[in-house]
Formats: sequence, C-alpha cells, structure tokens
Amino acid sequence: MSDDFPVDEMDLAIVEQLRINGRATNQQIADKLELTAATVSARIRRMEKADKLRVVAVSDFAAHGFNVLMEVAIEVDGRAASEVVDELSEFPEVFAAHLVTGRYDIDLLIALHEFDDLHDLLLSKFSQVRGIRSMVPAIAVDVIKYKFDVAPIDARMKA
Amino acid sequence: MSAPLIDALDHQLIEILSKDARISNRKIAADLGVTEGTVRGRIKRLQQEGMIAFTAITSFGLANSAKLAFIGVQTDVDQVKQIAAEIAELPMVNAVLITMGRFNILTFCLFSELDKLHAVASDQILAIKGVHHVETSIAVKTVKYNSRIVKITKDEKLIASDK
Repeated sequence: MSDDFPVDEMDLAIVEQLRINGRATNQQIADKLELTAATVSARIRRMEKADKLRVVAVSDFAAHGFNVLMEVAIEVDGRAASEVVDELSEFPEVFAAHLVTGRYDIDLLIALHEFDDLHDLLLSKFSQVRGIRSMVPAIAVDVIKYKFDVAPIDARMKA
Repeated sequence: MSAPLIDALDHQLIEILSKDARISNRKIAADLGVTEGTVRGRIKRLQQEGMIAFTAITSFGLANSAKLAFIGVQTDVDQVKQIAAEIAELPMVNAVLITMGRFNILTFCLFSELDKLHAVASDQILAIKGVHHVETSIAVKTVKYNSRIVKITKDEKLIASDK
C-alpha cells in the first residue's frame, strides 16, 4: 500500500469526530457515521501510517509546572549557528529551537518553572555555550491563541 | 487561583496519552496497576482543569514544505490586547503571544508559499490600526520542538468540559 493517498470524505468525517472526542471508541465513531468499527479502525491506521494524522493528548505548560514562557533571539559570532543551536537544544528548559533568517540567527522558546530559574539557565548553562554574541528575550505575559491541531507530522512526532 | 495538584500518576497518564490518545482505559489501567475507574476519573479531572486536551493533529492541507515563521509586531501599548485579538482571527496565524521585550506581540505563522506569508505580515497585520512595525523571521531548520506541551486556551477548555 502506498503511503501517499488522497484523503477522502470518509477520512475527513472520521477526523471531525476525533476532533470532537479523540477518545471516542471506533464503535462510537462507526455508529455516528454509519460505518463499521473495522472500517473506522483501518482508516485511522492508514492515516497514521502515512503521517497524516496523530490522535494525542497535549498537556498545558502548567501541568508541567512551567509558569514562565519566553522567546529568546540569539545572535551568533565566530561559530557555526548550527553548532550553537545543537548545543542549546540539549537543555531541557529549551522546548523549541529554530535556525532562522533575519537579524538574529537562532530563535528559542524557553519554559521555566519560575523566574529564579533564569539565573541558573543563563549563568550555569548558556554561558558555557561558545559562540553566543547576544541574547534578546521577549517574555510572554499573555497567550491569546495557541493552535496545535494542524502541523507537519514527521519523525519527531512519532510515538 | 492556586495551581492544581498534579501527582505522579497524573504525569504517567499524560505521558501515555501524549503518545497515543486512543489507548483504552482498560489497557492504561492494566499498565499502571490501577482500576479503570481511577483512570476514567483522572482523565476527566485533567480535562476539566485544562491540564490536557485531546486532539487530532493533521498534516493535510499543508504542503510537505510547510514552514514556520515568527512575526514580531510593535504596536501602540494601550491597544495591544485588542490588536492581538484581531491578529488571532487570521487563519494562517497559529499562535499569538503578548510579550514584553522588543515586540508587544509575537505570532507564529505556518505557511507554504512566501507570498502568502508576506500578505499576512505586510498587508493584513501591518494594516491594523495601532500597528507600527512588523519583523518577520523564517525558521529554516527546526532543531527541537516539543509539540505535546502547549498552552490550552479557554476555547479548548470549554470543548473539553462539554464532553
């Protein structure tokens, strides 16, 4: 079976049911859409296998005790930005790290339990990474929108 | 409001469900050595408190080359909330954060073609009254991204408690 197939109406209807309740059983979905549970199961598996769908629980920063969220733009000097970002992404406080175009070279998203943790992150961790010229933070004070149900699905997202 | 208590069992549940949300309560209960009732009750509480949300993440509609961009926005300070709400209405905008730093608002945008990103940043966002400057930065490589930890906003909480 080819991994790339066009998604049809039936697939979309199943996804819609999963968006309403990701934990609905195959039988519950089948009853709503007048299909068999075996069909629902096979369709979900086919989309998952082709990296078109993941049904998962996402958890809030607060569930992990993260109360401070900030973005940090980093300017690199005297070293390849790709090396610097590899080192920075080793730190557990860094939950996203991207190489970017523009005035800065690296963009990080950082989650901390509390502001006091910034001390340790800057002075014991980031200060050990060679090649950082400057860091400019933006501290999140309010999250207005955070959409997470459409995303490229790749190897990093696999269970 | 005090932080809700999340214990070790909750963390184990979150860990299992963040890999696959379609595992049955029975299987989870057997794996963790607790009753099905406990699993059911815990999941319900975590959902109601906005600690977890179940979602179907899809990649269709996105070209294989979908890219992420950060758009920083400088606005009149007294209008920042209203402008952020307006930006949040734009479909290509995936996240909107009000920030303190070099921007008032930071947005994440998923795009497949450069001209579409330009239209969002330079036509739509820049045209909003009170917006003075936008700065776009494109992610050329994602080295790390934990997509399972998110900000569950009020809308998702409502959906979760409706179930």
